Amino acid sequence: MRPKAGEKLPDIELPDHTGRIRKLSDVAAGDPLALLFSRGWWCPKEQRHLREMTAFQDELEVAYARLAVISVDPPEVQAAFRAGLGARFTFLSDADREWVEKLDLLEDTDTIHHPYRPTALVLSPDLEIRRVYDGYWYLGRPGREDLRRDLREVSAQIRDDFERS
Amino acid sequence: MSDLPSGAAELRFDGERLSLEGESRVFQVDARCVEGTPVAGAYAHVCALADPDAALEYDHPEVQQVRRDAMAWWIPLLGDSLVCLTTLALDEARYGGAITVTAEPVPWDQDPFARIFPGTVLRSDIFCTVAPPAGPVVERYAGVAWPGGSF
Repeated sequence: MRPKAGEKLPDIELPDHTGRIRKLSDVAAGDPLALLFSRGWWCPKEQRHLREMTAFQDELEVAYARLAVISVDPPEVQAAFRAGLGARFTFLSDADREWVEKLDLLEDTDTIHHPYRPTALVLSPDLEIRRVYDGYWYLGRPGREDLRRDLREVSAQIRDDFERS
Repeated sequence: MSDLPSGAAELRFDGERLSLEGESRVFQVDARCVEGTPVAGAYAHVCALADPDAALEYDHPEVQQVRRDAMAWWIPLLGDSLVCLTTLALDEARYGGAITVTAEPVPWDQDPFARIFPGTVLRSDIFCTVAPPAGPVVERYAGVAWPGGSF
């Protein structure tokens, strides 16, 4: 299944950057989640985009929203990349390329790494897909303003007290 | 301390010993850390004092920052050694310290929580294995010690 808005994403289970197995629902932990399928540490576009997302994490911490990355890098590589970025969000490793095929997100133009096609999903806490961004071209990826808008929309729908009636 | 919020449990510390009951200083912890199958002989780094005046507000910038540091590098540094981690809440708003529990000795001198209150290493049979929180740190005001609670 290629992720589509309105459908539910499977509760993907993968090792995180420390090697611990995590379910996506545990990463969301009841909050809206921005999930980034990323090529890997080697890609200059990923480096640039994840620096942008690292800057966004300060805001997410006080916004009751989550951010996570899935790539084909092994956990130890993700840990180093994450530390270099200064990121405090969770990286999930699909080094075995289990989900890249199931989700039909293989980037077939990279025959060296066989990575994910850069894709960003905005999810509600129950993993319903609310928005899909195809980031094959860099400008297709969501910036902070895009995610702020999307996560606001999800928050308004799931938080009864988001706005006073 | 009474009327514990859902998801919280009480833990006591007299400066030298941890216990679930007794007369020493009472803290609230993430209940998952003490309500499962305990890990025998775990190492608990208790960054707290028995002095009842040793407290800061959770909103204090340094209390915010040590949790960010825990997510950024302390938890990854501990790797598979980590058993659980909980802050020590005094009530909905005040921080009394934190405990990092591991299965074996680790570089305790790097524990970011020790920047606030000094750490004491104890052996303990109280704590259970709890997956560390997923980041980024998300503030909770449910009155339950971080990383527990819900919104």
